[in-house]
Amino acid sequence: MISFKFSRARSIALKEIRHILRDPFTVALALGLPFILVIFFGYAIDFDMKDIRLTCVDFDQSRASRQLTEIFSESGYFKIGFPERPDLFLQELDQEKTAGVLIVKPDFGKTLSSPGQTAKVQLLLDGADNSKTSAILSYLPGIQRAAAARLTGLKRQEPVKLRTRFLFNPELNSRWFVVPGLATVLIGLISILLTALTVAREWENGSMELLLSTPVRPLEIIVGKILPYVALGLGGVLFVYLAARIGFRVPFHGSHALFIAACLMFIMAGLSQGLLISVVTRQQQLAMQLSMISGLLPSLLLSGFIFPIESMPVFFHYFTAILPPRWFMVIARGIFLKGAGIGELIGPLAALLVMDIVLMTAATKRFKKDLEP
Amino acid sequence: MASIGIRTEHLSKNFKSLRALEDVSLLFESGRLHGLIGPDGAGKTTLLRCLIRLLLPSTGRIDYSEGDRSVSFDDIRPRMAYMPQQQSLYPDLTCSEHLDFFKDLYRLPSSLYRTRREELLRITRLDKFQDRRAGQLSGGMYKKLGLMCALLQSPEILLLDEPTNGVDPISRREFWDLLYRLREQRILIIVSTSYMDEAERCERLHLLDGGQVLSSGEPRETLRRERANNFEELFLRREGVTP
Repeated sequence: MISFKFSRARSIALKEIRHILRDPFTVALALGLPFILVIFFGYAIDFDMKDIRLTCVDFDQSRASRQLTEIFSESGYFKIGFPERPDLFLQELDQEKTAGVLIVKPDFGKTLSSPGQTAKVQLLLDGADNSKTSAILSYLPGIQRAAAARLTGLKRQEPVKLRTRFLFNPELNSRWFVVPGLATVLIGLISILLTALTVAREWENGSMELLLSTPVRPLEIIVGKILPYVALGLGGVLFVYLAARIGFRVPFHGSHALFIAACLMFIMAGLSQGLLISVVTRQQQLAMQLSMISGLLPSLLLSGFIFPIESMPVFFHYFTAILPPRWFMVIARGIFLKGAGIGELIGPLAALLVMDIVLMTAATKRFKKDLEP
Repeated sequence: MASIGIRTEHLSKNFKSLRALEDVSLLFESGRLHGLIGPDGAGKTTLLRCLIRLLLPSTGRIDYSEGDRSVSFDDIRPRMAYMPQQQSLYPDLTCSEHLDFFKDLYRLPSSLYRTRREELLRITRLDKFQDRRAGQLSGGMYKKLGLMCALLQSPEILLLDEPTNGVDPISRREFWDLLYRLREQRILIIVSTSYMDEAERCERLHLLDGGQVLSSGEPRETLRRERANNFEELFLRREGVTP
């Protein structure tokens, strides 16, 4: 008796397409929103810092100390300012007019020229702003090397030298890193939102009662409702892709076919999750809220987008494994930047496939075939 | 063709503390136009939903038969059609799109669908409104479209929940004319209504109040038995109001 008829799934899909076409909001949500948000947040989220303001209190006023501040400014990372009242330099730090204070002692130039002695410079940083301070710290060794070479005129002999090269993203351009991740977060969220309302809407407007009185089966409804949104979701991916490639010049080293296949699996996971929420809540407002929470927070905080999963407690290594964005994050960054192929990504791809099946089965099983409260 | 009948035995349905149906034993003989009559909250909708298994009985049973043979619900399920009381069409789809949609759900062959659709559009006089969206139809036309969706598959059991509720008197009359035409095909029709004047149009009447069956039989006989001139008087008397 239980038989899946594709013609019935297709008729649900056709009906859904008509709903979509008559509701410009859905189309805008799927196509426009991810594009706009990638552009918007892609510009906003930038871990690279330039022109960090440093206040220099130069008690030495020598040639050497002036050279030192030039080295800071010429690096491009820092912008050196001099306080009007040197005795009040701490106030500037308090009022966040500056990110740090560089203090050159009166004997800086003299110490530098006396052999065997190390000329010391003090740098006071605002430890309250962790991310800015760690960015500054990462720039300091380079400055120190440049200063040592230029101020002493000597090429220092370095018995051991660590040469670091960054593969895949040689300049460590953080937009290259952020944009594919941002695309993951947004595509995931939009996919959930697209279907979150579809079943709940049928319950709220009463059409579910009529639908359930026909021979249509839950799986046919689920499949019929997912199909049109898969197409819409892929449309959203295209816009996000264009934003990343054209807007931010993020390189794309991998295979487009593999990327589309992975997107398809990721979108399916989101759409199934949305349907599951819709099937369980049967209320549009509640479904919307649950989708926002379950779609946004885990993919922002637990997917490896901002915080590396390796540095989370062990529990989260396992917990994040059930989140589709965590896997697609690896896939998106891998395909975009590293040109990873199916061999490298087989694990994450398999994880997504398992989640597709689990979520779709759950949505079908939880689909109510009657009106029992 | 042996036609289908339904019998309920000691059917009760509870929603938490609310008892919607209590010990309902009714016979819906095949090929007749049955009316479920009773005020709001009598249990009409719950009973109809139980008959098409949108609700499951708390206790008691429902038996379906074809001729003298007992049949399972799953066997006759595809031959049943139901029209809910509440609005249940898609406001943004047109009449024509609704018919196409239900044709696919019932998997009607295209040739049969074309003749059926023509016929239904003609008798409901909705042919001029095929491209109008359901949300823009008048109350009467909306109900007719719902009926058309239910009739598309030529059901042998038709359950209609308050099909004339909120419909103007002329449309109501048209609606009943439609039902009479269907009756000629000797299918089992069960109509619920809270309009007492519609009671006399049915061949069999089942009076419900507070989830219980008050009486069951032919309309005139029922009135004679209850010593009432009409059904309005009968229900008002039960409420303790003398007309």
